[in-house]
Amino acid sequence: MARKIVSTGRGGAGKSTFVALISKYLKAPTLLIDLDPDLSLADMLGLDFHKEGKRTVCEALYDVIGKRKSNISPTITTHDLMESLLWSDCLYEEKKFDLISLGTKLTEGCLCAPDEILRKTIPKLAKNYTNMVVDSPAGVEHLNRNIVSDINDLFVLCDPSDKSLKHIPRIKEIIKQVGISYSHFYLVANYECNEEAEKYLQNTGEIYLGKIDYDAKLEEYNLEGKSLLELPEDSPASLSVKRVLTKAGYQIRC
Amino acid sequence: MGKVIVSTGRGGTGKSTFVALASKYLNPKKLLIDLDPDESLADMLGVDLNEKGKKNISTALYDVIEENKGAGRTGYNLLSDVMQSVLYRGAEFDLIALGTKFTVGCYCAPDAVLKDFIPTLVKDYAEVLVDSPAGLEHFNRKVVVDIDDLFVILDPSEKSTKHIERVRDIIREVKVSYNHLYLIGNYRFTEGTEEYLRSTGETYLGKIDYDPNVRQYNLEGRSLLELPEDSPATVCVKRILVKAGYKITDGDLSSKV
Repeated sequence: MARKIVSTGRGGAGKSTFVALISKYLKAPTLLIDLDPDLSLADMLGLDFHKEGKRTVCEALYDVIGKRKSNISPTITTHDLMESLLWSDCLYEEKKFDLISLGTKLTEGCLCAPDEILRKTIPKLAKNYTNMVVDSPAGVEHLNRNIVSDINDLFVLCDPSDKSLKHIPRIKEIIKQVGISYSHFYLVANYECNEEAEKYLQNTGEIYLGKIDYDAKLEEYNLEGKSLLELPEDSPASLSVKRVLTKAGYQIRC
Repeated sequence: MGKVIVSTGRGGTGKSTFVALASKYLNPKKLLIDLDPDESLADMLGVDLNEKGKKNISTALYDVIEENKGAGRTGYNLLSDVMQSVLYRGAEFDLIALGTKFTVGCYCAPDAVLKDFIPTLVKDYAEVLVDSPAGLEHFNRKVVVDIDDLFVILDPSEKSTKHIERVRDIIREVKVSYNHLYLIGNYRFTEGTEEYLRSTGETYLGKIDYDPNVRQYNLEGRSLLELPEDSPATVCVKRILVKAGYKITDGDLSSKV
């Protein structure tokens, strides 16, 4: 069973960047799941999902519902159909990692349906991997939805603001109330945090793993849409991520 | 009928900061709505809703449900059961916050309460300013259906350009209407990266300059309303609003813009 890693935090704190960077150092095989409808993880990893002939969960679901309306036996549920599509159409497989993206939905209504499919399938998917990393959308709703209910390592990315400090007890309370379990709760500071902000994070009573240093190259890569996997090993962000992972007890793959 | 203004964007681009700063220059009577369950707008404006005896929508709804269970009722009366307990009335502005919920499930129910509220509320105000949660789901939910001005706040990344397309696609497909769609760059844009925003085909209103005061205020949890009039972010927000055709309620604006 894979170690389940979840990255969460307020908007813009650096969740996807963190996931993209750590994916390189985790023991294979690794599955990455992008839960953000404003999808960006694939971009950050230099992948064009459509060019690779893959679809997002939302796209596949849309098709399944369309098909069900026309000609498929009513005894086959949407979920069964979706699950097989998830493997065949939505799972992008590569040497370094596999990836599933939730995708953008263009119809009215919330994202509960696609999220629910992932929630039910994650335990099965997890069996095939050593590590599974979930990149969450900004905010707290994904926690209320209880998409990953047994987390091993929860990384909370923090920016330097009073809001970030309030965010920490808020998500702890949601997690407790909706019954999500986790083994570790880690805080990681983003590049905007100075020493003063870091001090705040050290005093929250949670495990603080350190900060991701400012990295001019990383900013440039994001702007140009270049894969973060190509970031040099000795660039500040790569070094920080390795340091953070080591502190959390991970064996770094080189 | 009030003007409906919505601020949206990817996470961390500065939606709430923009709303907090813009709120100062809008016409009274104005209502601010914080749609983010990871609420922060009230904090940014120095309002402690709890202290003022106000609940957020999520809590109010939960309380109504619990009461109903006891009384064997269903449903709720929007105005008497919910409105009074959630609407904060201040001298400068009124405020409603969606709030965090601590039960399993999505935010469709509290969002639906607000969706029901908004058409009624709009009648009582000159301007209604909605601060959205990060991302796109709030559009899918059609919490606000008739928007006058939609401000999209962006950061300098390729993701931002794609975000603009996604917003347009969803809005078209789910049929949210708007009169204007405006782009605003956040403080991280440079001259070079601003070119991206000018070339999207949408109306680009300019960027909000870096402001060390904003950072300091946010870190300390201090109200952004106290930001000096000549602080870089304040000046930029005023300039942007004027460009979008707003009549700013600030006496000596010409000397600062």
